Amino acid sequence: MQDWISLPLVGFPLISSLLLLVFVSNVSESMRNKLSDPIRMACLVFSLILLGITTGMFFQYFGDVSWEGIGFNQYEYSHRYTWIESLGIHWTVGLDALSFPMVWLTTFLLPVTIVATWNEKNGATYFPIVLAMGGALIGVFVALDLFMFYVFWELTLIPMFFLILMWGGADRKYASQKFFIYTFTASVVMLLGLVTLYFFQDPGNPLDYAGSMTGRSFDIPTITQHALAENSNGNWYLGANIQKVLFAMLMLGFLVKLPAVPFHTWLPDAHVQAPTGGSMLLAGVMLKMGAYGMFRLPISLFPHALEYFQLALMIIGMVSLVWGAIVCLGQTNLKKMVAYSSVSHMGVILIGIATMQPMGWAAALFMMFAHGIISPMLFAVCGAFKHHYHSMEIGAMRGMAKHSPWIATSMMFAWMASLGLPLLAGFVAEVMMLIALWYFIEANGWSVFWMVGPAIVLAVTAAYYLWSMQRTIFEGGDETQPPASLHGEPVPDLASPEKLAMLILAAFTILFGVMPWIGLDMMHDWTKQIFEGLILPILGDFNGGI
Amino acid sequence: MASTDVTTTIQSEWLDFAPLIILLPMVAFAVILFLGRVFNGNPFWKNTLKEGGLIALPVMGASLVLSLLLISEFLGGFNPLKVFDPAVADKIAWVNSAVWNGGSTVTPVSFGFGIYVDHVTVMLLFVAAFLCLLINTFSIGYMNTDPINDNRNHRFYAEFVLFCSGMLGMVLSDSFLWLFIFWEIMGLCSYLLIGFYYERPSAASAAKKAFMTTRIGDVFLMIGLVMLWDLFGSLDYAVVFDTHNIEEVAKHSAGTLQWALGLMFIGAVGKSAQFPLHVWLPDAMEGPTPVSALIHAATMVNAGLYLVARMFPFFGAEALQGDLEDLAFIIAAVGGITAVMAAAIAFVQMDLKKVLAYSTMSQLAYIFTGLGCAMYLANTLDWHHDDDAHYIVVVAFGAALFHLFNHAMAKGMLFMASGSVIHEVHHAHHHLHHHDDHGDGHGDDHHDDDFDAQSMENMGGLASKMPITATAMLVGSASIMGLPLIGGFWSKEGIIANAWRVAQDDPRFFLPATCVLLGAAMTGFYMSRMWFKTFAGKPNNEIAAHVGPTNTWIKTPLFILTFVTLSSVIFAGLGFTHWASDNSYELGEKGLLKGLVYELEHAFANSDAFFFILTYVAIFLGAVVGPGLAMALYGGKLAEGEETKPWMRPVIQLSAWVNKRFHFDNSAFAESTLATALENRLYIDEYYDKAMVNIVAGFSNKAAEADSEVIDGTIKAIESGSQSLSSVVRSMTTGSARDYILMVAVGTLAIFMLIWGVA
Repeated sequence: MQDWISLPLVGFPLISSLLLLVFVSNVSESMRNKLSDPIRMACLVFSLILLGITTGMFFQYFGDVSWEGIGFNQYEYSHRYTWIESLGIHWTVGLDALSFPMVWLTTFLLPVTIVATWNEKNGATYFPIVLAMGGALIGVFVALDLFMFYVFWELTLIPMFFLILMWGGADRKYASQKFFIYTFTASVVMLLGLVTLYFFQDPGNPLDYAGSMTGRSFDIPTITQHALAENSNGNWYLGANIQKVLFAMLMLGFLVKLPAVPFHTWLPDAHVQAPTGGSMLLAGVMLKMGAYGMFRLPISLFPHALEYFQLALMIIGMVSLVWGAIVCLGQTNLKKMVAYSSVSHMGVILIGIATMQPMGWAAALFMMFAHGIISPMLFAVCGAFKHHYHSMEIGAMRGMAKHSPWIATSMMFAWMASLGLPLLAGFVAEVMMLIALWYFIEANGWSVFWMVGPAIVLAVTAAYYLWSMQRTIFEGGDETQPPASLHGEPVPDLASPEKLAMLILAAFTILFGVMPWIGLDMMHDWTKQIFEGLILPILGDFNGGI
Repeated sequence: MASTDVTTTIQSEWLDFAPLIILLPMVAFAVILFLGRVFNGNPFWKNTLKEGGLIALPVMGASLVLSLLLISEFLGGFNPLKVFDPAVADKIAWVNSAVWNGGSTVTPVSFGFGIYVDHVTVMLLFVAAFLCLLINTFSIGYMNTDPINDNRNHRFYAEFVLFCSGMLGMVLSDSFLWLFIFWEIMGLCSYLLIGFYYERPSAASAAKKAFMTTRIGDVFLMIGLVMLWDLFGSLDYAVVFDTHNIEEVAKHSAGTLQWALGLMFIGAVGKSAQFPLHVWLPDAMEGPTPVSALIHAATMVNAGLYLVARMFPFFGAEALQGDLEDLAFIIAAVGGITAVMAAAIAFVQMDLKKVLAYSTMSQLAYIFTGLGCAMYLANTLDWHHDDDAHYIVVVAFGAALFHLFNHAMAKGMLFMASGSVIHEVHHAHHHLHHHDDHGDGHGDDHHDDDFDAQSMENMGGLASKMPITATAMLVGSASIMGLPLIGGFWSKEGIIANAWRVAQDDPRFFLPATCVLLGAAMTGFYMSRMWFKTFAGKPNNEIAAHVGPTNTWIKTPLFILTFVTLSSVIFAGLGFTHWASDNSYELGEKGLLKGLVYELEHAFANSDAFFFILTYVAIFLGAVVGPGLAMALYGGKLAEGEETKPWMRPVIQLSAWVNKRFHFDNSAFAESTLATALENRLYIDEYYDKAMVNIVAGFSNKAAEADSEVIDGTIKAIESGSQSLSSVVRSMTTGSARDYILMVAVGTLAIFMLIWGVA
């Protein structure tokens, strides 16, 4: 089969954006401003091409790939090219039901982000950076080689760093540095884990695609296969202690990225200072890299350690969920509130993982996807609010329903979607998580008081969203004065491109809320198979097969 | 007898069209919203299509017709007058997943959507579809004639039809999960419509309060559903009501089941505004009156009752006999307490709509008590084998559902009538005070003045000005009070009788039984007070004297509902109470006339001495004591020269006579602490507000502070620590290659020792 990933999905956005950036940086200031429009258009077209490719993949237009029924450690569209032969580094790509929804989501959000931030300043540099961001993110999700995975993982930091630094708010320097240092430090721990994973292979008995010099392999499918064989033989792959340490090291990197409490404080700062487009991609896709990484490496390779750390993960997840929501209620900054709500929702993903139930994992995957559509809308609304009222404070503008009905409607919709209104995308994931959590409690004989956390969050989430809407959308008709920051200018509403972006995001939120099976069926099949193939054999060792 | 095979699939023509009942309004929602945005202000859109009102109307008509076809088929089509097997339509597989609960395989699970029709469905389906259509008609007369709504009525109609879609969907869906989904959609519409006048801070806060309070109930409901799901592995009615499945669950987890149902009941308490989650309903009157009529009186607040009625198969299951009686008591007790509390608060309300809101709360509480008693009887009596016990259970459950029907009809009508009054009072006020700018459309000073068109202080003597409205209000009030032979009488007597029947078995039930009996007198008082203050006596001020008659859009539904309420006697004669709950009795089994005689005999000449006396005590309290006190305080003749319809004349004259003869000074009560407490809604809202502000908001502010100070502070401390460390490290960078090699060697060794150690 033709390689639909390497060049079309990864190389094309990265190379084209790089060429555009090189070109733009070599022209004069005035020329750059003139080029803004054509470059924006070019980036939009490029991102639509990417979306076309992934959508075509979904509809089995490019190669007859059935996304349902993909098994554990099976990859579609996979290709492998030798990169550094001596070390066993390959350019290996492939898609499965874990990565494909994320790749589609990235390609979906790229054009939406471009449209939503149509009038961003310095467009000639901005839009190529957004495109580059997309390419790097896709690279993370399609990479099936540890080395390549790490390269793309770090590569995503660079465009995001520049997005925050160059288009951010007043404190952008601090925020971008904090973002970079924080996540980079965590990545280094993860890197150490990856390298250890590499060096603990036995060169005397080399795996496939091992380096000719080192006798060790970076190949994820091969390592996963090997680990699976070891684990289901009743052994711990690499031995119990190493497995636990490696699990913890990899998890740390992913937990910071997710982010989970207490490693979350980079997120609000980054979001508040980031431009709208940066926030949309950061919340929409970049956070999911953490959850994606968990499934791809630690969970797939170290199921025993997962079982060992189950309680710890559950506690971190619960704390993220509850703490995120409660801190939300104490915020007066709209964007900060939304940022913390992301922390809370990432807690849902973590709990779903910690339940070790097929349904919990499917819930986590679907939450990754649903939050990937809803949170960009949340941030687009915040961006519009900031853009039009020059303030992020809740209460800076009241009676928006009167003055800016489009912002008000979009906000109402996004907020409702995020608080889990049925028939919108987030609800399905939340219900599945609750059921999985209850099952987990029952199956393991844990206390029902674990349900108290989600219960509080369901109420508190409604409280902070309703509270913020009361102070923005409602309360104030004709007589309301626009905030002083407008300096007497007429109160604006959304511009046409922003409206379009909101409508698209809303439509897909409804689509996946009413017909969740479009994405959920493949996730379900995959989680069921990974559970049966990976977890069931080892659960016998622990629970004596209750 | 009662053990029907719920999975029987019945071939039916109209069942296939049932999804349309839900889908049509949902499509209309999108259409109205879209057209409203595009054609806002267009004269054709505004005057001919009534800003979407005339798009909504045929859609709701179509939903009603489809519902009626489905109902008639259910009643007679499949198997004449004997078909009560719930019909289950084909399902849509919505979510597929799997769980592991021990063992070597995972269990596949799925949540599907399908249609489920049984007698409870049929009852609620008719109530919802019928009232949605009538109130839609009313809205056109009410909303489109008030300039304050100009150019935003499309939002009203769009949210209105979305609500209807949610209500009909909740009634028709075949699982508790989809019940919950549509339940939440109704909640959203309730929120949006209460906040329809978003510019008023009071409306914004009422909307938030409604959503928040019901959300708290919903959280419990969700957890209850999860528990129920865990017990049965499904939330489909066909599975959870299956006798065999219930037997399996009853073997080892009857206690868990009671907890699950109890948590679900808390959801119902929130939605149906029962104590202690009742605080949102009176505030919800901030919404436009048609919204109050539809959502907060006739349909959505019944959702909680519907949920509890849906649980009946658990209570009635033989395998669970005696296991759920505590929950039945809690349901009845919550009902009893709310009935008295709400009625007491209604005593002192001056706002016409708030009186009705508290009345709604109180009457819903009656239904909860009725359901609780029916549940208790079903759970304790051996009704599967004993015919007498069977009859008792069926009639008890039927009485509660029949009261739901009667109350929905009467209360929908009362709210519409009150809306008609408010509308006209407002109009008269407008006419008197803003003669010049009348009809200039938007932007007049509606909010600036202190005039309150909803206050009964600005009414009085309206019986002559608005005869149809006054009649409707009279019949509606009589139905709510349970005056003999009218509307709610038939069902309320049943509820009171059953409460006392249960109280004889179980002394705990003396609480709800006393409450509902006391409540009858209180209902008689506050409903009469409302009617006399509004329609009898002389106009309280100049404005009330200038009120004119209302328009046809408003009159038509009032007329129809008056008729329905008065025909309640026919429904009773058809054996509605037997039919509404069970498939072992037929509608009109005895023939109308015989049935009527039987019901009359049963009501007024009960062979059991206890119930004979109880009936007359209840009638005396509700029809004599309560209204008598109200007459003594608020009755009075109309102004000179004012005439009203012949059927209202005796009522007004009687009230004037009682007022003259027995009038007493109630100022001692009016100034008492109790009255002040009642006016302040017993301070419950205040305590809740305090708890919210002090505990929840206080804690979250502290948490936000801690997040930036402690958690982020630690990170910053580490950062600055590492900076000072780096300066130490910098001093070690001697530039000598020998030092570096040493450091690398030591470091590598350390790492390998570390890894070797853990391995």
